[in-house]
Amino acid sequence: MTLFLQTTLNGLMLGGIYALAAVGFSLIFGVIGIVNLTHGVFVIAGAYLALLFYTELGLDPLLSMLPVGALLFAVGWIYQRTIIDWAISRASVEASLVVTFGMAMILRNLLQLWFGPDVQTITPFYSFFSVSVGPFRVDMVRLVALGSSMVLLLGLTLLLARTHFGRAMRAVAQQPLAAALSGLNVKRIHAMTFGVSAALAGASGAIIGIVQPFSAASEVAWTLNAFMVVVLGGVGSPAGALVGGLLLGLINSYTAQYFGPALTQAAMFLVLVLMLLLRPTGLLGNPYGESR
Amino acid sequence: MNRFVILLLTAVAALLVAMLPILLGPYYIRVLQTFFFFAGLGVAWNILGGYAGYWSFGHTVSIGIGAFTAAWLGLIFGAGSGPWSMILPVIAGALLSGLFALVIAYPLLRLRGTYFAIAMLGVSQVVAELVNNVSIFQGGIGVFLPSPVPSGMPVERFYYYIFAVVLSLLLLISWWVKRSRFGYALLAIREDEDTAMMLGVPTERYKMAAFVLSAVMVGLLGAIYGYSLGYFTTYSVFRLDWSLNMIVFCLIGGIGTLMGPVIGAALILFLTQVLLGGFLDLHLMITGALVVAVILVMPGGILRTRWRLPGRMPAREGAE
Repeated sequence: MTLFLQTTLNGLMLGGIYALAAVGFSLIFGVIGIVNLTHGVFVIAGAYLALLFYTELGLDPLLSMLPVGALLFAVGWIYQRTIIDWAISRASVEASLVVTFGMAMILRNLLQLWFGPDVQTITPFYSFFSVSVGPFRVDMVRLVALGSSMVLLLGLTLLLARTHFGRAMRAVAQQPLAAALSGLNVKRIHAMTFGVSAALAGASGAIIGIVQPFSAASEVAWTLNAFMVVVLGGVGSPAGALVGGLLLGLINSYTAQYFGPALTQAAMFLVLVLMLLLRPTGLLGNPYGESR
Repeated sequence: MNRFVILLLTAVAALLVAMLPILLGPYYIRVLQTFFFFAGLGVAWNILGGYAGYWSFGHTVSIGIGAFTAAWLGLIFGAGSGPWSMILPVIAGALLSGLFALVIAYPLLRLRGTYFAIAMLGVSQVVAELVNNVSIFQGGIGVFLPSPVPSGMPVERFYYYIFAVVLSLLLLISWWVKRSRFGYALLAIREDEDTAMMLGVPTERYKMAAFVLSAVMVGLLGAIYGYSLGYFTTYSVFRLDWSLNMIVFCLIGGIGTLMGPVIGAALILFLTQVLLGGFLDLHLMITGALVVAVILVMPGGILRTRWRLPGRMPAREGAE
């Protein structure tokens, strides 16, 4: 029983990080309708930037989430204004799937050339602590990571629900044409959405850097994780990302514990395929879906 | 172009393909053999992705099933040798891959667009992990296939001819599909599935047929590829990057055209194997840049772009 509870706890911890890494992907999917296959690169780029800040300036990865997020916000903004916008206006939304895939290949290659192909980790001083509650043990880093994820997800929820910008974003997601007619600058909102998404991806990268080893090649896994989280939880909302992320984390840790770590990928995909067949909108559904 | 010119061109091309191994060194024969294999994969993917508009991101699953079926047959029944011994395993590989497609087709083809694409990616991932980790499949330690190459014949030349013949066969099938009632139904599904269904096209059945046909073609190529490797493990045939290569070939040449995948494969292989053979760490970037450039500059691929030469009328859209 203790083992089962410990596994559950580990799964939930992991799930919080999955949720944060996926929420930006979910936002773009929900608001613009694009599957951004570059998302994993943003996550890994965030991890590399945090590593750079840590080794060069001694900046703690949790603090470096701010500059990393700001940098990636700019990258995401420019990315949408140039490549994504060109692809949508010249070809189609489907073509953007392939363009983002092509960009992911280019950027992964660039990261590899720049930082080398080796697996990296960030190890701040609290890496080796763990907290014991009764019979359970929790790594300090994972606890910190989970806490920061929750704070950021809460921040995004408030941004979407309470601010003018959040309302504009939801309006553009529901009815792009009507939003434009009401005087919203749709292109600007799209660019902002990409910026916010990339910033969150970068911040999650900084957290992932202290929790897990990473390399440029792990980019693919993070993109796929984000897609799975979205399919499980539902598109476009932080709550959907949280539900999907926690579920994915649980699946991952139960499979690793009871069937062997080699089968985690297979189990995750199996649940993904089942979910697509039984409830393709995800557990929480798409808050903007009906009007599309 | 009239029929006579096409026939003449085909005859010249066939003669050229037959003669080339005499003129070229082993390395270039191998490059051409890979080209035939990749072009064949593109042609097969194109049946489902190009004609019917169902983009699969996990078509390598059929390569893997084809190759492993051939090897398992050898393990169970004992392997013969000589070129004729590979016929049965190769056909079995193609059929089993088709059977697998038939089983997963019913649930998966209810999905559309991105969801279908990613679900296929999931299927290929799951099958690969199962083959790798469940010990009776032997994927983790690897399987052997006896060499069917007749003695006295260079290995690369043998597979060069086999892949050339198979590619021609696949092109013939693709050509037939494209101009048959079946093909028109697939195009209707691609353009607007709901309307097609409303107009009486049995979309479910045709989609399934396209899916299975495509899987059989890839399984056939996969089984032969397995023979050409001789010894392979899970990840030498279940390769994620190949799933994407198939799409890229079609995209660059022209999705839904007959010769598009062949042209796309030729271009990519020429770039990566011949021009930039020495820059292995740049291949990913070049392929990616090419994909992005093609989408932005000529979204229809090479064959669907209006080419304007000075002093000539613009080519017809979609000419192939």
